Amino acid sequence: MSSRGQFNFVWLFAIIAGGAILFLAIYGAMQFSDTAQYQSDTEIAKSISILTDPLQAGFSEGSTGRIEFREETRINNFCYDDGFGRNDISVASRPDADEDWNLAGGATSIHNKYIFSAERSDGLDYYVFSKPFEFPYKVADLIFLTSDSYCFANAPDEIVDEVINMNLPNVEAGNCTGKENVRVCFGFGNDCDMTVYGTCGSGCDSSYDTGKVERGGAETHFVGNLMWAAIFSDRVVYECNVKRLLYRTGIIAVELMGKVDLMDARGCDSNLKPSLSVWASATGNASSRDLSGLNMAAKSIDVKNDKELCGVW
Amino acid sequence: MVGVRRINTRGQFKIQQMAFMIMAVFFFFILVGLFFVGWQFKDIKSSAEQLHEDQAISSMKVVADMTELNCNSREDFCLDEDKLKVMTNSNLSRVYTDFWPVASVKVYKVYPAFDNVVECPGADCNYYEIFDNGQRNVKEFSTYVSICKKLKESGYVYDRCDIGKLLVGVTIHDEDEE
Repeated sequence: MSSRGQFNFVWLFAIIAGGAILFLAIYGAMQFSDTAQYQSDTEIAKSISILTDPLQAGFSEGSTGRIEFREETRINNFCYDDGFGRNDISVASRPDADEDWNLAGGATSIHNKYIFSAERSDGLDYYVFSKPFEFPYKVADLIFLTSDSYCFANAPDEIVDEVINMNLPNVEAGNCTGKENVRVCFGFGNDCDMTVYGTCGSGCDSSYDTGKVERGGAETHFVGNLMWAAIFSDRVVYECNVKRLLYRTGIIAVELMGKVDLMDARGCDSNLKPSLSVWASATGNASSRDLSGLNMAAKSIDVKNDKELCGVW
Repeated sequence: MVGVRRINTRGQFKIQQMAFMIMAVFFFFILVGLFFVGWQFKDIKSSAEQLHEDQAISSMKVVADMTELNCNSREDFCLDEDKLKVMTNSNLSRVYTDFWPVASVKVYKVYPAFDNVVECPGADCNYYEIFDNGQRNVKEFSTYVSICKKLKESGYVYDRCDIGKLLVGVTIHDEDEE
């Protein structure tokens, strides 16, 4: 009787201990799987930062690229506008469309780039392209990241030409098939997700040199290549990145004032210092609402610089 | 009475034996787990270093083409000597502390050749330390660049260029340091 009791106790003990070990092993494996997924998503976020390096326009008019993922990927882009600010890029993935998204990996902070995208975009293929931002000197390259396809309705010839020259596979200008996710109307149109208005009246290459994008009742103002940014990014990301760009514009103006001093010292005179000083204080704390007014000042400074024998830029 | 005591002793011995066995199995799994985690961390560390290296290499063109450094001549890998001086000689370098994607940015002049490294600002200097985050164990990658400045002579303006080297550093993790 007692022998059978002892036998049962041994079995009970072994089952409990074995169960505990098995439970811990399964729990550990699941935790490890989550950690591996987190690691992979964190690496992808960092890779996006690196992959966009060669895609920066540099001295060209623009450049285009495509990032393909093996599984559906969500890219989060959170922008912070204190000083130079930053874009925090994090990535989450899911193996199937029916499943929930995994927890996003660690965010990669990018301080020296201006990534315009939705705050949260999903997809297998992402299109990346870049355009320079000159105000009036080159400030930075604007990087656009999108997984959506766009239809540009009623786009003027210069915009259509630019889309064709850039070879943007996710943008149809003129020959829309109706399969596109986002319909962008220029000036007017039906069933528009957003409407782009050009407001440049005189001394412009195109009426869309300055303007605004109206989406869901809200307006975002743009100049030059920021038009693409206003189209391809959320308003929050756009406003934040524009503030960052204008802050950097002001800091570069301060640096150029230092350059003027050095040039003056060796006889390569320049009269741009007072204009640059005003420009630095005007842009340092500006936002997208000030772009239109600043654009006039930028053009005036650029004309002054062109007239100088020793141009500062 | 005696028989019952003998059975209890044997039962206690069995329980002790099993407890030791379970402890041993636990320790075995913990050791295997630790070994695996260590191996994984090494993997994470090496991929982090690889990503840092990739970033440093790809950042070289980005750094050289930045308006803060380049010479506006619409040429790649061309640095403006005046801008280099301003970046090393003013409070601007402090403003840019968090901005750089790498651990250090330095520029040397390599031609005309020099005997001693003289840090700028200074007379006949040939070395500009644009940024250094102060970290040790920095692995540096370099590329040749033009270092140009505008000069005006007899009413003509021209660019005078020297040959230089742009060095960007990436932090590496040394096993001995841990």
